[in-house]
Amino acid sequence: MSDMTELNEPVEDGHLVRDEVRRISKSVHARRVATSRLMMVLCAVALLVAAVPLVMLIAELVKNGLPQLNKAFFTTEPQTPTLIAPNAAGGVSNAIVGSLALTVYASVLAIPLGILVGVYLAESESKLASILRVIAQTMAGAPSILMGLFAFSFIVHDLNIGFSALAGSFALAVLMMPVIIIATEIAVRNVPNSLREAGLALGARNHKVSLRIVLPTALSGIVTGTILAISRAVGETAPVLLVIGGGFINQWRPLDPVSSLPLSIFENAKSQWPAQRLQVWGAALVLVAFVFVLSLTARIWATRKQQVRN
Amino acid sequence: MADIQSKTATTESISRGPIAMQLRDVAVSFHGRTAVRDCTFDIAKNQVTSLIGPSGSGKTTLLRALNRLHDLTPGAKVTGQILLDGVDIYRGNVTVTELRTRVGMVFQRPNPFPTMSIYDNAVSGLRFNGIKKKSLLDEAAESSLRSAALWDSVSSRLKVSASNLSGGEQQRLCIARALALDPEVLLMDEPTSALDPVATLRIEELMTSLKSRVTVVIVTHNMQQAARISDDCAFLLMGEDRAGELIEFDTTEKIFNNPVDSRTLDYTLGRFG
Repeated sequence: MSDMTELNEPVEDGHLVRDEVRRISKSVHARRVATSRLMMVLCAVALLVAAVPLVMLIAELVKNGLPQLNKAFFTTEPQTPTLIAPNAAGGVSNAIVGSLALTVYASVLAIPLGILVGVYLAESESKLASILRVIAQTMAGAPSILMGLFAFSFIVHDLNIGFSALAGSFALAVLMMPVIIIATEIAVRNVPNSLREAGLALGARNHKVSLRIVLPTALSGIVTGTILAISRAVGETAPVLLVIGGGFINQWRPLDPVSSLPLSIFENAKSQWPAQRLQVWGAALVLVAFVFVLSLTARIWATRKQQVRN
Repeated sequence: MADIQSKTATTESISRGPIAMQLRDVAVSFHGRTAVRDCTFDIAKNQVTSLIGPSGSGKTTLLRALNRLHDLTPGAKVTGQILLDGVDIYRGNVTVTELRTRVGMVFQRPNPFPTMSIYDNAVSGLRFNGIKKKSLLDEAAESSLRSAALWDSVSSRLKVSASNLSGGEQQRLCIARALALDPEVLLMDEPTSALDPVATLRIEELMTSLKSRVTVVIVTHNMQQAARISDDCAFLLMGEDRAGELIEFDTTEKIFNNPVDSRTLDYTLGRFG
């Protein structure tokens, strides 16, 4: 009986637990406010520290790059300065044409294949699918120079095609593919099953459900992933370094050597001529602007995706 | 066999008009585990038949067997007979895609195709089945949207994305999408559980008005809803082995006012579930 009384006491007292919670909550309130402010300050400081190198980089890039940008920079092929004309470095049109060609060829190789494999991984439960998934994930993290080595030994050497845009775009395609595969798989998996069922319940066959419902719904995710893969490929130096051969002329034929913006930067940065070293900044600015536009496009697609979801 | 007869005893007494679908000892199992069994009853043509029962009693599982939506679930098996117009939908001379155009389905959550416009959603079933003729599609879009009481509010914005509609409108669009194929039977899986009371009321009114052109089978958790809108009612309950089974099938009036089984009475009175 005494036990019962003890148990009952707090209840008769009012609300022991509730009172205690309120007391503690009051006593720690001031400390919580102070901690919260301190954390905010720390976050702000961290943000500043992180932003400083980024801002410096962009400022340096614009400061040195912008004066380089004129019509001749985009439209003329490079030339080697001489003692008589030390500032005659020409333009980088060869690198722009080469980069565009490489990107287009790599996209043609990687995008259809990557999307199909991604859809397969999302829809199949087979052993092959899980093996492919592991390979794609490993490849996504592989150092990009590896793709260059592979393209060199396979395309340039074994197939005896030589230094060429094809070899470079092959290396870039191998680099892009895992990114596209993974993005596609995620996008297709994210399509709610209820939409597939809705299609089936209307008498649609499986391939129609895939083509008319699943792919369009997943499209924004696939496009976002693909654009990110392209923007990564555009800026890559290592994979193309070993295989595209370079050269000063504007050319886009797949079997001949080409230049590219990253390669031109790599070569010119080592130049003894200040004019060529300055040109590097212009090329870098063009490259960054291109990647920026691509990422922005990807972002816009991603927001579109969310609107569809909501 | 004796079991089946005892179950049909109640159904025979109420088979009044023509029959749309017949269920004979239907059971559904997943990987050998029975989810629902012993379902024998007739679905009367141009009537609303409701499936009621607590969670886990197998209502939705049974409903999805009626248009073979379990076909794609690995390990799912449907036994017994389900007859549509006298033809066994699992073994008879009917393809699964044809069956699904004849037995439409509306799901628990509105699921219009988000990348399609209102118009494209309404005619999607027709397009999936190869109908391309513009005049036919236009006509089907208007008549199905009218039947779903949606035409007046969307006729001016047919090209707008279906995701812009409210939840209730989306669900009516899903009903229109199913109706566009002019099915004989419309299956509805708790079609109002994600909707507010006003939208729910509109769907309920719609179901009553649709009776003249389509047979409706509805799963509902809401007993008032079953009482309000259905003509016949099947009560399912989870058995001791956690498999759902049909307890009683009769007219809704009888199920709610004078059921044979005491468990039915307990459930409709809200004593459990």
